Amino acid sequence: MYCTNMALSDSADKTTLMSIQPYTEDQSDALQEVVNIAMGQAGDSLARILGNFVALSVPRIRLVTVKDVIKTVTDMVDNNAEISAIRQSFSNSLRGEAIVVFAQAGADDLADLMGYDTDLDQSAKQELLLEVGNLLVGAVINGISETLKTDLSFSAPSLMAERTPLDQVLVPEQLSWSHALLMEVNFTVENRDFKCHLLMFMTEETIDSLRGILDEFMDGI
Amino acid sequence: MTPESLEKWLFVPCRHNGISIELTQAENGEEALAAYRDGKAEVMFLDLTMPVMDGYQVLEQLQKEQLNTFVVVVSADIQPKAQERVKKLGAIAFIKKPVKTSDIENVLHEYGIV
Repeated sequence: MYCTNMALSDSADKTTLMSIQPYTEDQSDALQEVVNIAMGQAGDSLARILGNFVALSVPRIRLVTVKDVIKTVTDMVDNNAEISAIRQSFSNSLRGEAIVVFAQAGADDLADLMGYDTDLDQSAKQELLLEVGNLLVGAVINGISETLKTDLSFSAPSLMAERTPLDQVLVPEQLSWSHALLMEVNFTVENRDFKCHLLMFMTEETIDSLRGILDEFMDGI
Repeated sequence: MTPESLEKWLFVPCRHNGISIELTQAENGEEALAAYRDGKAEVMFLDLTMPVMDGYQVLEQLQKEQLNTFVVVVSADIQPKAQERVKKLGAIAFIKKPVKTSDIENVLHEYGIV
């Protein structure tokens, strides 16, 4: 069961969170399954472009406030070493943003994995991050959209961070929401340094609208 | 995979052939192996991404224990290499999520399970 334990740190948060009811167990299971399917498709796309088998983690789903997002994400990413990251927003029936966090060693390994010269200049390396990030986000958004039969669109990717400690990336000023539903999965390539985390943050109103969408999805199975 | 969804997928083919089934749900690979050792798994529907013990580890362990069950992998990990790996580890079939009832029926028929 997910999303039922919300830590309310002060009364202001309590007021804004009042409207968010936790999902039922069925809705949580369905969401977990939908995310699992979408992330599986993203993993397949990544495996094809990298020409390697990609190990997928079990998707994690949490409700986070902007105040605890750094701690939650640094716990998920294992450490606070340097990372590079790209971001893309998505909209329509569900709104939010997707962030792909590349462990720096993995970002550096990308050119070699994709068969390019390893001495690419900085802008070419950035292009690779944007390309791979866009591929992952596109696959996961399309996967969710197809599975839930709901319309979703997404923006072009932009570079969010390069060789930056994670806790300097996910600062409240950088984020456009006060609390969000966070979905995380990570992709690793065996015997290589490559590892990246795909984080999807869905905004307040989406947490509500997702409930009805999940119910329809379950009726249709 | 919830017991409800599995029951739905299995309902038609099994009722058609007058077979009654008993479902045991496992939260992870270890629980699945425990159910298998208790003789509760003539057919095992196995996910790959699971906490504690994943599907590959379950298949490896089943091979060590002589694999006396039909294992059908049902996974969202649709990489061709994932499919190759589980077949090598003794799974009889790989069904991609989202699951269609006909996928399950076809496998059950192919192996004469129903």
